[in-house]
Amino acid sequence: MTAAAPPAPPRDSAPHRTPPKEGSRALRAWRSVRVPAALITAFVTVVVLLSLGTEQFPTGHLEPGSISPDGTRALVNVLEEDRDVHVVRSSPAAEEAVSEAGDDTVLVVFLDHRLLPEELESLAALDVDTVLVRPSTPSLEAFVPGVEMTGREEPEGFPEPDVAYSPECDLSAAEAAGEAYVGGELYTAGSGVDAVGCYPGGSGDALVRVRHDDGTTTTVLGTGGPLTNAELDSGGNAALALNLLAAEDVVWLRPDPPQQEGSSGLWELLPLGLRWSLVPLVAMLALLALWRGRRMGALVPESLPVAVRASETTEGRAGLYQSRKARDRAATALRAGFLDRVTPKLGLSADAVPGAVVATVAERTGDDPAHLRSLLYPEPPDPYAGNDDMLVKLADELDERARRLR
Amino acid sequence: MVVTGRAVLLALVATVAVALSGLVGAEATAVALTVLVLLLALDIVLAASPKAMRLSRDGDTSLRLGDSATVYVTVTNPTRRRLRGSVRDAWPPSAHAVPRGQPLRVPAGERRRVTTALTPTRRGDARAAGVTVRSVGPMGLAGRQRTLPAPWTVRTLPPFHSRRHLPGKLSRLRELEGQHTAMVRGQGSEFDSLRDYVPGDDVRSIDWRATARGDGVVVRTWRPERDRRILIVLDTGRTSAGRVGDTPRLDHAMDAALLLAALAGRAGDRVDFMAYDRRTRAQVRSSGKGSQVNRIVEAMAPLEAELVESDPAGLVGTILGTQGRARRLVVLLTDLNATALEEGLLPKLPALTSRHLLMVAAVNDPAVDRMAAERGSADALYRAAAAERTLGERRRVTAELRRMGVEVVDADPEHIAPALADAYINLKAQGRL
Repeated sequence: MTAAAPPAPPRDSAPHRTPPKEGSRALRAWRSVRVPAALITAFVTVVVLLSLGTEQFPTGHLEPGSISPDGTRALVNVLEEDRDVHVVRSSPAAEEAVSEAGDDTVLVVFLDHRLLPEELESLAALDVDTVLVRPSTPSLEAFVPGVEMTGREEPEGFPEPDVAYSPECDLSAAEAAGEAYVGGELYTAGSGVDAVGCYPGGSGDALVRVRHDDGTTTTVLGTGGPLTNAELDSGGNAALALNLLAAEDVVWLRPDPPQQEGSSGLWELLPLGLRWSLVPLVAMLALLALWRGRRMGALVPESLPVAVRASETTEGRAGLYQSRKARDRAATALRAGFLDRVTPKLGLSADAVPGAVVATVAERTGDDPAHLRSLLYPEPPDPYAGNDDMLVKLADELDERARRLR
Repeated sequence: MVVTGRAVLLALVATVAVALSGLVGAEATAVALTVLVLLLALDIVLAASPKAMRLSRDGDTSLRLGDSATVYVTVTNPTRRRLRGSVRDAWPPSAHAVPRGQPLRVPAGERRRVTTALTPTRRGDARAAGVTVRSVGPMGLAGRQRTLPAPWTVRTLPPFHSRRHLPGKLSRLRELEGQHTAMVRGQGSEFDSLRDYVPGDDVRSIDWRATARGDGVVVRTWRPERDRRILIVLDTGRTSAGRVGDTPRLDHAMDAALLLAALAGRAGDRVDFMAYDRRTRAQVRSSGKGSQVNRIVEAMAPLEAELVESDPAGLVGTILGTQGRARRLVVLLTDLNATALEEGLLPKLPALTSRHLLMVAAVNDPAVDRMAAERGSADALYRAAAAERTLGERRRVTAELRRMGVEVVDADPEHIAPALADAYINLKAQGRL
């Protein structure tokens, strides 16, 4: 026992165990982030490109920017061709716009239920022609005291209501327009009011113009329907709208819903202590993460052995045969395998001539020697390599012979 | 730095306290955070330093694959503080060390032993990665942790599954020696001794000359040759990496080599061992009688298949050059890979076979046989044809080797070890060693 085994070879001697070189860390980091980075970039690009194609339009009933059927963008665009339209969203802005506009100005007020009574008062006090579209009761009282809503005839049918009203009055704006699909609320002016009522319905007029003492007029329209995109081109709607808004400057007031002022959010409602407790909560979560995440020592690396099946090359060759449909090679291999197995049993040497093999096999199995010859030693072209069915047939015939020779 | 669940609980208490504090929330937050940080810092400072711990090891150093080994770490606490916390003896994943971590309390100046059980699933050397000591302060809120080196290596030896064949093969061997209870004449070829004839002996073995000199009938006894030299060569090149079943060819070859070594050792032959691909990976030289199996097992344990093409020329040169001039049986455990053998080994064979008797043993892959039997569709036939081609090449190279006077043992993984042992016994019976 003098000789001893040499020391075990160093484990890092083989090429496949070479440790990764310095600098490959950056490469690895780049490799690990490049796919997510590319995906995010592609996503952002697609989103940006898609958003470039679409334009956002505001929506809402009688909204001047809206292109939906109940919007009024069509009318605003027509108006803007020969006059200035100032779209305002609140009563102070409307007052400012009126004061900045010239003498020939008309103020259109939509959705005035959103305005406070004092705002209505100050708007009514403006020295300007005004058109009220379906005003609220406080608004009627503020602008045209003495005019009252006396009925309602909501038209049926959309976009063209089934009932058209004829002017039947001496108001040039309405007369020129002719029949229009007004309706909605109907108004009646009381006695002592200098008013003209047009488009009479059953219990009042759909349009009432009141002339004030200072020379300005206030026109009350029972519905905004004729002004919408859907109905503007029906009957005399467009003409009526343009005639009513005949001025150099149109101040278009569609108030935004009133904002709640002075209300506090959920955050302000929380007790002070609860709000401050977020700070120690964050500290607690950090400690929790540290507690659960702290490892007992580093991970232990281990070089794993190669795991490759010994039959890998055979499988690979099968795949090649299959992808190239190498029937001739397959047939040759199957025949060679058959002959290798059979010839020793027949007492023939491995290099026996084909004639001897065919004769011996034919003798033992009783087959036709000519058929056997074409089966085992075919003349090119090989009849069994023509298609897949023939290949299957070849294998079956060989198996049959092998069984009989057993 | 480490924190415990208690620290999280403390932070939770602080959170609740601040939440209930009402209008003095800002002040309460400041106080709570300060207290929390101070307590944690105090605990960290008061914890026994894990860096100061002294470690020593003992335990098993080797085991057979499939068994379990136990290793111990003794943690000595030389500080004046009590160590409380936990410890983990880290091993590579394939060593399957349990438990992963365990609580540890070492009073000042004392020491404690930590036990870790290893059940490796891979042959070879498993090296301890280090011992992580986590020390928590007296309040159990936070502490420190450190990984200390404690080198130890556990060698996992080849399992030697084919041991179960050894008794059967030994009895065949005894048959050769004439010691068998069946009174069968030893078939060995070496003259052993003369003894008196007893009824039942083969009359052909009567030595008439000796009988004439004495009174009774004397028979010759024979025994197998002894003190023959056997060199087992393990090819660790790329072909040995392929897995047959779930085990690399190399491990099947090791199993067969161990059975042969054990058998030859009992038969009185001298067994050398070598593992080679492009250079010698392991080597055991016999140094007299007695079994070499343990030393061969030790030498085999760390061997892994290398992903390089084997160098048969170098192998033949090494065998001829360094292994002495006496005739020996060279058992080469490799793969009957047509390309590798035809290009590498076959041209070098005459030099080897002129001096030594060569036996090539190879594990064949039952998966290829199964592939060759596939039928039914064209795709199955392509697979069958590819397998037939592999088998055909194997047959061709086997025939080629036999033509050059090489013994070839080609068997599936289940039977390679007994087949190799049988081939050896047959050679011995024929007196060809």
